[in-house]
Amino acid sequence: MKLKIKILLANPLSFMGLLLISLVFGSAIFADFITPFPLHKGAVVDFSNFNQAPNLTNIMGTDLVGRDLFTRIIYAFRISIMLGVVVLIISVPIGVFMGLLAGYSGGKLDFVLMRITDVFLSIPPLVLAMAVMGLLEPTILNGMLAVTAMWWPWYTRLIYNLTRSEKEEGYVVAAEVVGASRWHIMFREILPNCTHAIITKMTLDFGFVILIVSSLSFLGLGVQAPTPDLGSMVAEGARYLPDSWWLTVFPGLAILIIVFGFNLVGDALRDMMDTDS
Amino acid sequence: MSDSLLDIQNLSLSFQGLTETVDVLDNINLSISRGERVALVGESGSGKSVIARIILGLLQSQKGAIVKGSVRFRGIELEAATGNQIESLRGREISMIFQDPTSSMNPVYKIGTIFHEILNRGTHNISKKLALIKASKLLEEVSITEFKRVLESYPFQLSGGMNQRVMIALALANKPALLIADEPGTALDVTVQAQTLKLMHNLVKKNNTAVLFISHNLGVVHQFADRVYVIYKGRIVESGSTSSIFENTKHPYTKALMNAVPKITSKSFFDASDDSSLFKQPAFHHKDREIGQ
Amino acid sequence: MSKPLLSIKNVSKSFSLGDYEIQALQQVSLDLNKGECLAIVGESGSGKSTLANIIMGIYPQSDGEISFKGSTLPSKRLLSHRKDIQFVQQNPLSSINPSRSIGESLRLPLDVHRIGHANERNNRVSELLTEVGLTSNYSKRYPSTMSGGQLQRVAIARALACAPELVVLDEPTSSLDVLVQSRVLSLLQKLRKKRSLSFLFITHDLAVVRNIADYVAVFKEGKLVELNGVNELFSKPVHSYTKRLLSAIPVISEDEIQLLNQIKEKE
Repeated sequence: MKLKIKILLANPLSFMGLLLISLVFGSAIFADFITPFPLHKGAVVDFSNFNQAPNLTNIMGTDLVGRDLFTRIIYAFRISIMLGVVVLIISVPIGVFMGLLAGYSGGKLDFVLMRITDVFLSIPPLVLAMAVMGLLEPTILNGMLAVTAMWWPWYTRLIYNLTRSEKEEGYVVAAEVVGASRWHIMFREILPNCTHAIITKMTLDFGFVILIVSSLSFLGLGVQAPTPDLGSMVAEGARYLPDSWWLTVFPGLAILIIVFGFNLVGDALRDMMDTDS
Repeated sequence: MSDSLLDIQNLSLSFQGLTETVDVLDNINLSISRGERVALVGESGSGKSVIARIILGLLQSQKGAIVKGSVRFRGIELEAATGNQIESLRGREISMIFQDPTSSMNPVYKIGTIFHEILNRGTHNISKKLALIKASKLLEEVSITEFKRVLESYPFQLSGGMNQRVMIALALANKPALLIADEPGTALDVTVQAQTLKLMHNLVKKNNTAVLFISHNLGVVHQFADRVYVIYKGRIVESGSTSSIFENTKHPYTKALMNAVPKITSKSFFDASDDSSLFKQPAFHHKDREIGQ
Repeated sequence: MSKPLLSIKNVSKSFSLGDYEIQALQQVSLDLNKGECLAIVGESGSGKSTLANIIMGIYPQSDGEISFKGSTLPSKRLLSHRKDIQFVQQNPLSSINPSRSIGESLRLPLDVHRIGHANERNNRVSELLTEVGLTSNYSKRYPSTMSGGQLQRVAIARALACAPELVVLDEPTSSLDVLVQSRVLSLLQKLRKKRSLSFLFITHDLAVVRNIADYVAVFKEGKLVELNGVNELFSKPVHSYTKRLLSAIPVISEDEIQLLNQIKEKE
């Protein structure tokens, strides 16, 4: 474990990734302290100051109702992280459980579970999320549910493949021959050998979840006003390009930072996994 | 010595990692003359397999590898040799056979195509037709009578024993001066291994090919080699003719190896001492070079 | 005469691969008595590992019957069978879970079969480790920091954890180095005596067989071709395949060479 952290720090790319992620998390956690206009995260208007280009008071400019863009972006980080965490915390255990069960049981259970998974996998992710949102009210909660619903199958497939190959390993045979129950074998023998893959995937996914939620918000289906969200900000600002460029560019850059940071770290984790095997 | 084919002196190898340097080989001296069959015996982790890769120039480009010392082939210092010179040595003057015959051949090529590629190294731009004729003769020499079928097959379609013989034929195709055999037959059954070794023995004798035979199997070494080098943790601990090593064993490590091989004349196993400080004794070199046979 | 511990009667096994049918075992019958070490020798494709897997209940036989202590072994093994018949596989790097500590891997059989009180099981783990020549602090270590020889000792400790009557060993030392191999074999011999175990020892190495087995069964292409006491097999082999196996042993000492020559001369 210590060696892995050392390797992550030694590689310049993953170091940069870690730096970016710390920046994002740090600012999200300390949003209340580092933002100049903390109230602007909510429903505040200041029409005397609206649509200002970046200046000394508002380093990223102001939006159409006069709120400080920098402040809103930092708070949007917070929302994005929360969304990412909630989506993954729910979808990963579901996906992993199904993958383990299908992969180890084989036979009819395998068939049924994997065909259900295939159905979900075959629908383009954003379309699926939009369909779910179409049925439900557009709220943050429903946005999260929609993304969760389309996220778990990827973990099922990953864990299913891993389980199928681990099943043939000597230690699984040894546990079976000793008389261990299938639950023990799935969760205490096979699952520990999947954790590296799961963590790597979760890291890479984090950026994508945020991207998808932002896309939903961009379409008006996720986070609603006045809550700040990077996707919505990009959507609103798009109409005013290229004049009020700051309205789109800064939120866009913010999305880039999150996704890029997690991607770099995720890639490094994946490379480590390859060398392990 | 004009008969000297391979001359390794003071060879050392270490790997520079992120956090530490690992020493793999320490001051190796090894020589092979024309037609000699020399065995390099050691357990896993002793460094024996790395030596083969150094001779072929395959290790030097590996990240973090620090190679010191001299490796001369026919008097030419391999380190100083140009890329072209080394390329022309590999597959022509020096060839190699590996532990698992089936996996060391490219699975997407037919045996005939592989032969063509190898023969092309010896005779540039050799036609496919001529290559296949030559290949048939080579396969006959390794006692493969159905050579037409074999040449048309892919490696996975043939048995391990068959592939081992094919590999020997490939290795000897360009009549190399030195053949390096890295644990040949280890992946095969005992009876097949015995056959294969007999075959190899006859062929190298016929062509006066020198062999560097890398193995952990003392019985096979006893059957096949003229001289033996015993390697332990990157150092040569004993060297000499086969008869000296087996009948007049001097170094504690070699003695332990000999005792550890289960014998059909005994009733219990040798409980080798865990004390590896015993093995750190200085090397013993028997003074009885028997050159060739 | 007492009943054999393990009785294999006319066991056959075939595998189907698409259109093909592979006959891995054909009508094999043999008995193992309590306290004996029966070696099964053969080359690849002989069916010896298939028989081991069938005995361990990894998959069922296609035909024939296996009985243990007089009663038939069902294809779905009972927990008591799992306790009495244990297994040591060839590759310790694969047979010990890389993501669990040695202590956890050794506790598993104790927990499954509820050996002793839950809080004394860790002591038993330490005892097992010492019994196979490792110190008790190995309990906290992970396989990636250990050698093949050490891991195989752990595998042996695991097999002995619930005091089985029969241990099936499938090429237990074939993937180990020469010196390590002899130490592990020596350990197995000691443990067998100490705990009065019965061994079903599968190997391709006849020299090993000579030193550990009481009886030898020679398998060729799924069939049992010769079954005899170890001394008899080595001095008066009957089947031509047995003779071929014997003459292929790579021996290193003069006595052995003479012995093999004697066998050859008798033909």
